[in-house]
Amino acid sequence: MSAGPDRSSPSTSSGGSSMDFRNFSLAISQTKVARFAEDLAAGKIMSTICKKCRRAYYPPQADCPECMSSDMEWKALKGEGSLVTFTKIHVPPEHFAVRQPLMPFSSIQFEPCPIGLLEVEGGLRIMGWIPKVDLKKIKVGMKMKASPQTLPDGKLTIVLEPI
Amino acid sequence: MRKVAIVGIGHGKFGIRSDASLRELAFEAVKACLDDAGVSLKEVDSMVTGIAGDEFSIALQPSAQVHDYIGFHPKPNFRVEGACATGSMAVRTGWMNVASGLADFVLVVGVEKMTEVPTSVATDIMGRGGDATWEYPFGTTFPGYYAMIANAHMAEFGTTEEQLAGVAVKNHYYGSLNPYAHMQKPITLDKALTSFTVAHPLKLFDCSLITDGAAAVLLASEEKAKAVSKKPIWIAGLGLATDTMRIGDRKSLTSILSAREAAKTAYKMAGVAPSDIDVATVHDCFTIAEIVAYEDLGFCEKGEGGKLIQAKETYVGGRIPVNVDGGLKSKGHPLGATGVSMAVEMTKQLRGEAGERQVKNAAIGLSHNVGGTGQVVAVHIFRRE
Repeated sequence: MSAGPDRSSPSTSSGGSSMDFRNFSLAISQTKVARFAEDLAAGKIMSTICKKCRRAYYPPQADCPECMSSDMEWKALKGEGSLVTFTKIHVPPEHFAVRQPLMPFSSIQFEPCPIGLLEVEGGLRIMGWIPKVDLKKIKVGMKMKASPQTLPDGKLTIVLEPI
Repeated sequence: MRKVAIVGIGHGKFGIRSDASLRELAFEAVKACLDDAGVSLKEVDSMVTGIAGDEFSIALQPSAQVHDYIGFHPKPNFRVEGACATGSMAVRTGWMNVASGLADFVLVVGVEKMTEVPTSVATDIMGRGGDATWEYPFGTTFPGYYAMIANAHMAEFGTTEEQLAGVAVKNHYYGSLNPYAHMQKPITLDKALTSFTVAHPLKLFDCSLITDGAAAVLLASEEKAKAVSKKPIWIAGLGLATDTMRIGDRKSLTSILSAREAAKTAYKMAGVAPSDIDVATVHDCFTIAEIVAYEDLGFCEKGEGGKLIQAKETYVGGRIPVNVDGGLKSKGHPLGATGVSMAVEMTKQLRGEAGERQVKNAAIGLSHNVGGTGQVVAVHIFRRE
């Protein structure tokens, strides 16, 4: 399977830990929907739509459980909608806290960043970081837009910003 | 289908058990269970072992350690896994074995040793109980998922942080009365509200514990139950239901629909209504989870869960006593043991053996055990007769 744009991150996966899994990058691979990562790097958040029954999927799926078809087409999402819920995780998973030299959008070793779930067109929901809004100002129902973001070290992720 | 009863219960001390290995913890519960039943291991036909994580025990088949150590070979042992609902799925699997006629006596043991890895690693392992591909890249943890449920519930129904803390105060109070509980001291509302934030709005005292422990029950057919037990407790209804892997795909973020579905099935099978339940153990992995459980199980209307705890209706003497053994919150949550521990507690209550925590004349009990954030939920209903 083709590698995403930033699969090389040796500093995060070494260390002899029994746990060697993906970090916060969305550079997915070893899946039939790996092209999602390339599109994300090119600035697009992609969904898939079943050609037979027209059901839409985000995250994208290669197969449609609605009608058991695997004939899918790709469609870019506008990514605008309202915030369904959010949180700010202060106690992170071990992989984030210890192995990452920097969290995204942080200047210190670990500074929590809120995350949220945005409901966009077709009722699809996109998870993303909310780096630019103070936690106290984040409200369920607020209008936001989801956009891809490439971090300084090349990793890919998604951010939610107010519109 | 044959009737199935619980005729023996065993419960080890929950806590940070660095004094004992996984198999030794299981042995404690098994021995107590067989002693309670007055049945020897030789009479037991088969066994079900609930262990949720290979990563905590760093073994490919930890259940083999258990059957080996208690000397059960060469008889059958099934391992069952369903994240935090593992224990109830083990009870259900044991029930299937007896109900089908395959076995007359089935030993169900749930065990987990979670504290051999550091808390941050345990948090990491459990965080991947969500969708490891699509959610984990946002640093999600279990408290994080339930925090998102809490924020949605607060936005929709006006549930407050004080109401969440009220669940912690109640469960720590009852934990202080339970000698098997991990934490045995009461806390104040102020202490809960001023503890540090784990995942906004959930604070330290909104979260259940990372715990080692084991629990066991012996299940029997009607004929065997009547022969060996004066107070068999019958498994009268069972429901099991599933929901989406990702929390983002749920139709509701303020309810666990799989819990509603499992409860509906269990109530129907037992022929009872929510108002018939005398005592319940629910999956309070986080305080918000207990409030949502009140609503999903029909103990109150949707959105009214916060008010139910605020009015202290879920204390002994209230409308529906819930988690009067301390719950996951204070008793602790050794994943594979939790559901079996719930069956042990319901049996104690229905036998009238719960001591200071006893709900008077409890005749019908319910357990509600949620795997992950609802990817799988098991609800069981127990009856005295």
